[in-house]
Amino acid sequence: VSKRKILPTRAALTLTPAALNKIRMLLYDKPEYIGLKVGVRTRGCNGLTYTLDYTKEKHPADEEVLQDGVRVFIEKKAQLTLLGTEMDFVDSKLSSEFVFNNPNIKGTCGCGESFSI
Amino acid sequence: HASQQRPTLQCGQQHPLAARRLNSTAAREEPALLPAEERVNLSLSCVKRMKEIMEEGQYLRIHVEGGGCSGFQYKFSVDSNRDEDDRVFEQDGVRVIVDQESLEFVKGSTLDYTHELIRAAFQMQKNPQADHGCSCGSSFSVKL
Repeated sequence: VSKRKILPTRAALTLTPAALNKIRMLLYDKPEYIGLKVGVRTRGCNGLTYTLDYTKEKHPADEEVLQDGVRVFIEKKAQLTLLGTEMDFVDSKLSSEFVFNNPNIKGTCGCGESFSI
Repeated sequence: HASQQRPTLQCGQQHPLAARRLNSTAAREEPALLPAEERVNLSLSCVKRMKEIMEEGQYLRIHVEGGGCSGFQYKFSVDSNRDEDDRVFEQDGVRVIVDQESLEFVKGSTLDYTHELIRAAFQMQKNPQADHGCSCGSSFSVKL
Protein backbone atom coordinates (compact mmCIF):
# COMPACT_ATOMS: atom_id res chain seq x y z
CA VAL A 1 0.00 0.00 0.00
CA SER A 2 2.84 2.38 0.81
CA LYS A 3 4.05 2.17 -2.80
CA ARG A 4 0.71 3.56 -3.90
CA LYS A 5 0.90 6.54 -1.64
CA ILE A 6 -1.12 9.37 -3.07
CA LEU A 7 0.96 12.40 -3.87
CA PRO A 8 -0.52 15.55 -2.41
CA THR A 9 -0.74 17.32 -5.74
CA ARG A 10 -4.41 17.95 -5.18
CA ALA A 11 -6.80 17.39 -2.35
CA ALA A 12 -8.33 13.95 -2.24
CA LEU A 13 -11.67 15.54 -1.62
CA THR A 14 -12.87 19.03 -2.38
CA LEU A 15 -15.74 20.70 -0.60
CA THR A 16 -18.19 23.05 -2.25
CA PRO A 17 -19.13 26.25 -0.39
CA ALA A 18 -22.52 24.72 0.44
CA ALA A 19 -20.85 21.68 1.99
CA LEU A 20 -18.40 23.86 3.91
CA ASN A 21 -21.22 25.94 5.37
CA LYS A 22 -23.25 22.92 6.36
CA ILE A 23 -20.30 21.21 8.04
CA ARG A 24 -19.47 24.41 9.91
CA MET A 25 -23.05 24.60 11.11
CA LEU A 26 -23.03 20.95 12.13
CA LEU A 27 -19.83 21.31 14.13
CA TYR A 28 -20.54 24.74 15.58
CA ASP A 29 -22.21 23.55 18.77
CA LYS A 30 -20.25 20.30 19.02
CA PRO A 31 -16.75 21.27 20.12
CA GLU A 32 -15.97 17.70 21.15
CA TYR A 33 -15.75 16.70 17.49
CA ILE A 34 -12.85 17.78 15.31
CA GLY A 35 -14.49 17.09 11.99
CA LEU A 36 -16.43 14.67 9.86
CA LYS A 37 -15.28 11.32 8.61
CA VAL A 38 -16.20 10.02 5.17
CA GLY A 39 -16.12 6.32 4.48
CA VAL A 40 -17.52 3.73 2.14
CA ARG A 41 -19.38 0.62 3.06
CA THR A 42 -20.46 -2.41 1.09
CA ARG A 43 -24.18 -1.92 0.87
CA GLY A 44 -26.87 -1.19 -1.64
CA CYS A 45 -27.69 -2.55 -5.05
CA ASN A 46 -24.62 -1.18 -6.77
CA GLY A 47 -21.98 -2.34 -4.34
CA LEU A 48 -20.88 0.60 -2.26
CA THR A 49 -22.39 3.44 -0.35
CA TYR A 50 -20.94 6.49 1.40
CA THR A 51 -20.98 6.89 5.13
CA LEU A 52 -20.59 10.08 7.11
CA ASP A 53 -19.90 10.37 10.83
CA TYR A 54 -18.66 12.83 13.38
CA THR A 55 -15.13 12.11 14.51
CA LYS A 56 -13.32 12.96 17.73
CA GLU A 57 -9.82 12.03 16.67
CA LYS A 58 -7.71 11.47 13.59
CA HIS A 59 -6.91 7.85 13.01
CA PRO A 60 -3.30 7.40 11.77
CA ALA A 61 -4.51 5.86 8.51
CA ASP A 62 -7.02 8.61 7.78
CA GLU A 63 -6.38 11.15 5.08
CA GLU A 64 -7.04 14.63 6.35
CA VAL A 65 -8.57 17.25 4.11
CA LEU A 66 -8.41 20.76 5.45
CA GLN A 67 -10.31 23.38 3.51
CA ASP A 68 -11.12 26.85 4.85
CA GLY A 69 -10.78 25.65 8.41
CA VAL A 70 -13.10 22.69 7.96
CA ARG A 71 -11.59 19.28 8.53
CA VAL A 72 -12.85 16.16 6.83
CA PHE A 73 -11.17 12.79 7.28
CA ILE A 74 -11.24 10.01 4.75
CA GLU A 75 -11.13 6.45 5.97
CA LYS A 76 -8.28 4.38 4.66
CA LYS A 77 -10.64 2.07 2.81
CA ALA A 78 -12.29 4.97 1.03
CA GLN A 79 -9.22 6.91 -0.03
CA LEU A 80 -8.78 5.41 -3.49
CA THR A 81 -12.50 5.30 -4.08
CA LEU A 82 -12.98 8.95 -3.29
CA LEU A 83 -9.90 10.43 -4.96
CA GLY A 84 -10.85 13.59 -6.80
CA THR A 85 -14.40 13.62 -5.49
CA GLU A 86 -16.32 16.80 -4.86
CA MET A 87 -18.48 16.83 -1.77
CA ASP A 88 -21.54 19.01 -2.09
CA PHE A 89 -24.57 19.73 0.05
CA VAL A 90 -27.92 19.90 -1.68
CA ASP A 91 -30.85 21.32 0.22
CA SER A 92 -34.41 21.21 -1.03
CA LYS A 93 -37.84 21.07 0.53
CA LEU A 94 -38.07 17.33 0.17
CA SER A 95 -34.55 16.34 1.11
CA SER A 96 -31.26 17.75 2.23
CA GLU A 97 -28.20 15.66 1.70
CA PHE A 98 -24.50 15.52 1.13
CA VAL A 99 -23.81 14.51 -2.45
CA PHE A 100 -20.53 13.09 -3.70
CA ASN A 101 -19.60 13.87 -7.28
CA ASN A 102 -17.13 11.09 -7.84
CA PRO A 103 -15.23 10.91 -11.14
CA ASN A 104 -14.20 7.29 -10.50
CA ILE A 105 -17.57 5.62 -10.49
CA LYS A 106 -18.91 3.43 -13.27
CA GLY A 107 -22.50 3.08 -12.22
CA THR A 108 -24.98 4.37 -9.72
CA CYS A 109 -28.27 3.31 -8.31
CA GLY A 110 -31.43 5.22 -9.17
CA CYS A 111 -31.40 7.05 -5.87
CA GLY A 112 -27.72 7.94 -6.14
CA GLU A 113 -26.87 6.40 -2.81
CA SER A 114 -25.22 3.25 -4.06
CA PHE A 115 -22.45 3.07 -6.66
CA SER A 116 -19.80 0.85 -8.24
CA ILE A 117 -16.20 1.59 -9.20
CA HIS B 1 -40.95 30.09 11.40
CA ALA B 2 -43.68 27.97 9.90
CA SER B 3 -44.31 25.63 12.79
CA GLN B 4 -47.50 27.32 13.85
CA GLN B 5 -50.72 25.43 13.38
CA ARG B 6 -52.26 26.04 9.99
CA PRO B 7 -56.02 26.19 9.74
CA THR B 8 -57.30 22.92 8.38
CA LEU B 9 -60.04 22.77 5.82
CA GLN B 10 -63.37 21.52 6.98
CA CYS B 11 -65.63 19.30 4.96
CA GLY B 12 -67.38 21.27 2.25
CA GLN B 13 -64.95 24.14 2.57
CA GLN B 14 -62.31 24.41 -0.10
CA HIS B 15 -59.15 26.29 -0.55
CA PRO B 16 -59.56 28.80 -3.42
CA LEU B 17 -56.72 27.14 -5.33
CA ALA B 18 -58.25 23.72 -4.99
CA ALA B 19 -61.75 24.95 -5.73
CA ARG B 20 -60.83 25.94 -9.25
CA ARG B 21 -60.02 22.36 -10.07
CA LEU B 22 -62.57 20.65 -8.00
CA ASN B 23 -65.80 22.47 -8.62
CA SER B 24 -66.82 19.96 -11.29
CA THR B 25 -65.59 16.84 -9.54
CA ALA B 26 -66.82 15.26 -6.38
CA ALA B 27 -64.20 16.05 -3.77
CA ARG B 28 -63.20 12.97 -1.89
CA GLU B 29 -61.90 13.90 1.50
CA GLU B 30 -60.92 10.70 3.25
CA PRO B 31 -62.77 9.86 6.42
CA ALA B 32 -60.40 10.36 9.33
CA LEU B 33 -60.80 6.87 10.65
CA LEU B 34 -59.94 4.82 7.62
CA PRO B 35 -58.11 1.68 8.80
CA ALA B 36 -54.33 2.05 8.92
CA GLU B 37 -53.83 -0.61 6.25
CA GLU B 38 -55.96 1.31 3.74
CA ARG B 39 -54.30 4.67 4.08
CA VAL B 40 -50.88 6.28 4.09
CA ASN B 41 -49.73 6.93 7.63
CA LEU B 42 -47.48 9.80 8.57
CA SER B 43 -44.85 9.65 11.24
CA LEU B 44 -44.35 12.48 13.74
CA SER B 45 -41.15 13.66 12.08
CA CYS B 46 -42.92 13.61 8.71
CA VAL B 47 -45.77 15.79 10.00
CA LYS B 48 -43.28 18.18 11.58
CA ARG B 49 -41.27 18.54 8.38
CA MET B 50 -44.38 18.98 6.25
CA LYS B 51 -45.57 21.81 8.50
CA GLU B 52 -42.25 23.52 7.87
CA ILE B 53 -42.24 23.26 4.09
CA MET B 54 -45.86 23.32 2.99
CA GLU B 55 -47.85 26.39 2.27
CA GLU B 56 -51.60 26.68 2.50
CA GLY B 57 -53.30 24.55 -0.14
CA GLN B 58 -50.26 22.44 -0.87
CA TYR B 59 -50.06 18.69 -0.70
CA LEU B 60 -47.18 16.29 -0.57
CA ARG B 61 -47.75 14.04 -3.54
CA ILE B 62 -46.62 10.43 -3.42
CA HIS B 63 -46.27 8.84 -6.79
CA VAL B 64 -45.10 5.34 -7.63
CA GLU B 65 -43.48 4.69 -10.95
CA GLY B 66 -41.50 1.95 -12.61
CA GLY B 67 -37.78 2.37 -12.22
CA GLY B 68 -34.97 2.05 -9.72
CA CYS B 69 -33.01 -1.10 -9.12
CA SER B 70 -35.89 -3.05 -7.63
CA GLY B 71 -38.60 -2.36 -10.19
CA PHE B 72 -40.66 0.42 -8.62
CA GLN B 73 -39.71 3.64 -7.00
CA TYR B 74 -41.33 6.33 -4.90
CA LYS B 75 -41.42 9.91 -6.09
CA PHE B 76 -42.28 12.81 -3.83
CA SER B 77 -43.26 16.30 -4.87
CA VAL B 78 -45.04 19.32 -3.53
CA ASP B 79 -48.26 19.83 -5.44
CA SER B 80 -51.19 22.18 -5.20
CA ASN B 81 -53.30 20.48 -7.85
CA ARG B 82 -55.68 17.69 -7.15
CA ASP B 83 -57.07 15.42 -9.83
CA GLU B 84 -60.21 13.37 -9.88
CA ASP B 85 -58.59 10.05 -9.01
CA ASP B 86 -56.49 11.47 -6.20
CA ARG B 87 -56.99 10.46 -2.62
CA VAL B 88 -56.12 12.85 0.18
CA PHE B 89 -54.96 11.75 3.61
CA GLU B 90 -54.91 14.36 6.30
CA GLN B 91 -53.18 13.99 9.62
CA ASP B 92 -52.55 16.74 12.17
CA GLY B 93 -53.29 19.42 9.59
CA VAL B 94 -50.94 18.28 6.84
CA ARG B 95 -52.12 16.56 3.72
CA VAL B 96 -50.64 13.85 1.57
CA ILE B 97 -52.07 13.15 -1.85
CA VAL B 98 -51.83 9.84 -3.69
CA ASP B 99 -53.34 8.88 -7.01
CA GLN B 100 -55.48 5.77 -6.96
CA GLU B 101 -53.03 3.70 -8.97
CA SER B 102 -50.08 4.55 -6.72
CA LEU B 103 -52.17 3.98 -3.61
CA GLU B 104 -52.46 0.28 -4.46
CA PHE B 105 -48.69 0.08 -4.02
CA VAL B 106 -48.33 2.16 -0.88
CA LYS B 107 -51.44 1.63 1.25
CA GLY B 108 -50.62 0.68 4.80
CA SER B 109 -47.15 2.22 4.62
CA THR B 110 -45.77 4.93 6.83
CA LEU B 111 -44.19 8.04 5.41
CA ASP B 112 -41.27 9.19 7.53
CA TYR B 113 -38.83 12.06 7.37
CA THR B 114 -35.50 10.54 8.32
CA HIS B 115 -32.67 12.55 9.76
CA GLU B 116 -29.17 11.27 9.32
CA LEU B 117 -25.93 13.14 9.18
CA ILE B 118 -25.42 12.37 5.51
CA ARG B 119 -29.02 12.99 4.47
CA ALA B 120 -32.44 14.01 5.61
CA ALA B 121 -35.29 13.00 3.34
CA PHE B 122 -38.82 11.66 3.07
CA GLN B 123 -38.88 7.90 3.06
CA MET B 124 -41.60 5.29 2.76
CA GLN B 125 -41.38 2.72 5.49
CA LYS B 126 -43.11 -0.49 6.46
CA ASN B 127 -44.80 -0.92 3.10
CA PRO B 128 -46.85 -4.12 3.35
CA GLN B 129 -46.84 -4.46 -0.45
CA ALA B 130 -43.07 -4.23 -0.81
CA ASP B 131 -41.02 -7.39 -0.85
CA HIS B 132 -37.53 -6.04 -0.51
CA GLY B 133 -36.19 -2.65 -1.24
CA CYS B 134 -33.09 -0.87 -2.24
CA SER B 135 -30.87 0.15 0.64
CA CYS B 136 -31.89 3.76 0.23
CA GLY B 137 -35.58 2.88 0.39
CA SER B 138 -36.48 4.78 -2.75
CA SER B 139 -36.94 1.64 -4.83
CA PHE B 140 -38.81 -1.56 -4.06
CA SER B 141 -40.21 -4.71 -5.59
CA VAL B 142 -43.73 -5.99 -5.05
CA LYS B 143 -44.82 -9.13 -3.23
CA LEU B 144 -46.48 -11.50 -5.65
